[in-house]
Amino acid sequence: MVRKVLALSLLAMLLAAPNAPAQIPPAGTPQAATSAVDPASLQALKDMGAFLQTLKRFRVSTELTGERVLADGQKLQHTATADMDVERPNRLRALMHSARSERELVYDGKTVTLYARAQKYYSTVEFVDTIGRLIDLLEQRYRVELPLSDLFVWGTPAAPLDKIVSAMNAGQDFVGDHLCDHYAFRQASIDWQIWITTGSKPLPRKLVITNRADEARPQSVSLIDWNLKPNFKDTIFKFTPPKGASKIEIVPVKTK
Amino acid sequence: MKRSCGKLLPASLVVGVLASFAMSPYADAAGRGGGGGGGARATSGGGARAQSGGGAQPGSGGAARQTAQVNNTKADARTNNVRSSSVNNVNNVNVDRNVNVNVEGHGCCGGGWDNDYHPVATAAAVGTAMAVTSAVVGSMVRTVPPSCVPVNYGGMIYQQCGSTWYQPQGSQFVVVNPPY
Repeated sequence: MVRKVLALSLLAMLLAAPNAPAQIPPAGTPQAATSAVDPASLQALKDMGAFLQTLKRFRVSTELTGERVLADGQKLQHTATADMDVERPNRLRALMHSARSERELVYDGKTVTLYARAQKYYSTVEFVDTIGRLIDLLEQRYRVELPLSDLFVWGTPAAPLDKIVSAMNAGQDFVGDHLCDHYAFRQASIDWQIWITTGSKPLPRKLVITNRADEARPQSVSLIDWNLKPNFKDTIFKFTPPKGASKIEIVPVKTK
Repeated sequence: MKRSCGKLLPASLVVGVLASFAMSPYADAAGRGGGGGGGARATSGGGARAQSGGGAQPGSGGAARQTAQVNNTKADARTNNVRSSSVNNVNNVNVDRNVNVNVEGHGCCGGGWDNDYHPVATAAAVGTAMAVTSAVVGSMVRTVPPSCVPVNYGGMIYQQCGSTWYQPQGSQFVVVNPPY
């Protein structure tokens, strides 16, 4: 009889087991819920953003490894690089390389030019505003993305931290020779990680973004290199059509 | 950042080909592209590079790109069959992708700054348009008709020839779906 009761109670426990996971989390969640967004990790982002906004004149280079997802979910990896010479608030020159394209984007605060070197075609648009607004114009009207546009957005209201649903410190790591603090975040359909130089100059050195909206989870990895004392001249922000270059139309993106 | 080997490719040849093509549209541009164009490239490319590089990476561009050029003629057709339902690659955290949800061709072309090509294998609806010129999407040509008009859409260069669209690829052109 005792044995039978024991067996029954065991059975009852087993039957109850499927419900158990629903009951166990509450015990563990109070801690998890309060610490899902680590305040110190958000503060590190704020500090980095504030520091980035103090940079007036710099050269930043990046090497990006990205992925394209094929129809069946197989992924292909590719590489692109960019060099950007910047003078806030409104001058910029970006050189973008990939296997099949070599483009230049030049902005002097009044006119923005996109130049395709190989084909020697350029397009210009009048635009008077900051680099931050230029990023919006290019993205929304022409669907042209500026490399590392986050660098101009962090530290401004356009990079709201309240969209972040998870933030954690992932310890320290080296990016090249630079000791960095490694943070991991989740917001909307992306997971992202950033490596920020440890110390008084919190420059981002590496950025990894994983797109969770696609089950293949394509990911981009951007390595970032800085020169805070660049020796470029102001004239580089003025586009002068090279000999033989011709002007072509740039068509705003069509909406359905 | 050290320059990696793959980045410095395009192409004295392309410039030469396109330049001579622009001057005399009826000539077989591919056939006569070579030498002269390469020379022109050496001066203009090197100069521009040195200028924009600001001395930080003096002259690192021109030379390497003189010798190598991307050739995708052996690439499997499947490599172009990119998922159209996804923003394949996200490169920036603070990009409001929602504003672009209704953009035609979203997820297929343009988008990331590293995106340098236009998928050619997802073309179903363009069959009739293509029939006019009998240019098959995905096929490569050495020159484009003289009536073509170059246009920048989504940051990429196309040659529009009526209902047929081409995209430069190395020293050739590939027929693509209309980008819009």
